Amino acid sequence: MSAGLERRYRRVLRLLPGYYRATWEEDMVAAFLDSALTGDPDDDEFTLEFGRPTWPEIASVADLAARLYLGGAGAPRRYLAWGQAVRGAVLAVIGVHAVVSLDALVRLAWIHRLLGVPAAPAGLLASTPAGILPPAVWYLGDCAWLMVFVTLILGRYWVARVYAALAIVPDLVWLLHGQFTGFLPATSLGPWSFWVLLSVVPVLALAAFHRDAPPAARWPWLLALPAAYLLVDVPLLALQVTGNSAWGPDDSGLFCLLVALACLAHAPRAWSGASAGSGVWSLTLALLAVVAGAYRIASLADYLHDPHLIRVSLAELLILTVAAALVAPDAARTARPAPPRPRPDQETLAY
Amino acid sequence: MTGQAFFVLTALAAGPRHGYGIVGEVADLSHGQVKLKIGSLYGVLDRLATDGLIEPDREEAHDGRLRRYYRLTSDGRNALAQEASIRAATARVVRLRLGLAAGEAAG
Repeated sequence: MSAGLERRYRRVLRLLPGYYRATWEEDMVAAFLDSALTGDPDDDEFTLEFGRPTWPEIASVADLAARLYLGGAGAPRRYLAWGQAVRGAVLAVIGVHAVVSLDALVRLAWIHRLLGVPAAPAGLLASTPAGILPPAVWYLGDCAWLMVFVTLILGRYWVARVYAALAIVPDLVWLLHGQFTGFLPATSLGPWSFWVLLSVVPVLALAAFHRDAPPAARWPWLLALPAAYLLVDVPLLALQVTGNSAWGPDDSGLFCLLVALACLAHAPRAWSGASAGSGVWSLTLALLAVVAGAYRIASLADYLHDPHLIRVSLAELLILTVAAALVAPDAARTARPAPPRPRPDQETLAY
Repeated sequence: MTGQAFFVLTALAAGPRHGYGIVGEVADLSHGQVKLKIGSLYGVLDRLATDGLIEPDREEAHDGRLRRYYRLTSDGRNALAQEASIRAATARVVRLRLGLAAGEAAG
């Protein structure tokens, strides 16, 4: 029977995928125990019985697990697909932040007639929310989101992580201040769910952008930013300046509809199975649909006073569900476990 | 090639080593600057084995456990030599730009 330290370390190693443990677990345990023991019989007996893996050791295994599950070049097909899908979903969500940030900076330029633009219409409002933070902090946050998007596409992953950590702070400060001062109702889940689902989760999922991750397709993603601004944001801006913003969906509704549209556009490829990359896109869209659906459901609590808005929100949720169901079978095929990739050194490395 | 992979290949250049032996050798080579955790080490070893730069050498019993030794392949030796040349050339440029003679840098 294995000693306490070995048992605890094996428990940590369960974070790793099965195919990886089958090849490396015994070796990792031996190396770990070698590193923990000093050669003094008394010390070693105590360490073996009562010792625990240190937090840096656990972190190194967790980091390895993230890299293996969200695989990059050379990973088994299933884990590469998960890695690519998560990276695609993160880029899409951070792209949404970048479009919103671009919108805020365009409004700032327009309202203050910076860069020689013509005077803004009377209906145009700045996008910085009221609260404890001065507008300059929000605009710096917007710049940070734009930098996260650009640096991710350029492959500067560590720089992107630093900007991302800065970008999520203003919302957190605003939310905490609003909650403690009563500025935000205690039951208001929408802003919190936006922060958690669309800011914190994607920032944590930046772990998928590791050194084995294939680089993002640079130009399509860079061009997607102005395209999304022109196709999505400008019409909403037009509704606002013409006093018709009530016709536009709210944030979560818009996110649901955009994901639903993307699912509908991708569905023919998903059903034909003509392209090898189709399954990864289906999985990406399925992940985005889960996030959009969760955000829609969480923000329903803000509309409990208005049955009409509840009905509209449920209709958006239904549209999203139906559209996501079209790509779900292809996504499930891609995410399904496959036999382990035969490694060139499998026979000699396996015990 | 990452810094960790470079150090691991350098540790194996003198002969086959087991996992913990590589950790110790890397710490020595880097004057204690690089302290590999086991999770990090096996991430690097897996990558190098997949790329064909290292391979298992032998297994030896030690305190009731099997220690597996690894060695450089010929591709690994070539890759390490190429990386060493690049790093040496970079170091020469750094010394030149700092106005240091070749021997001064060591002191």
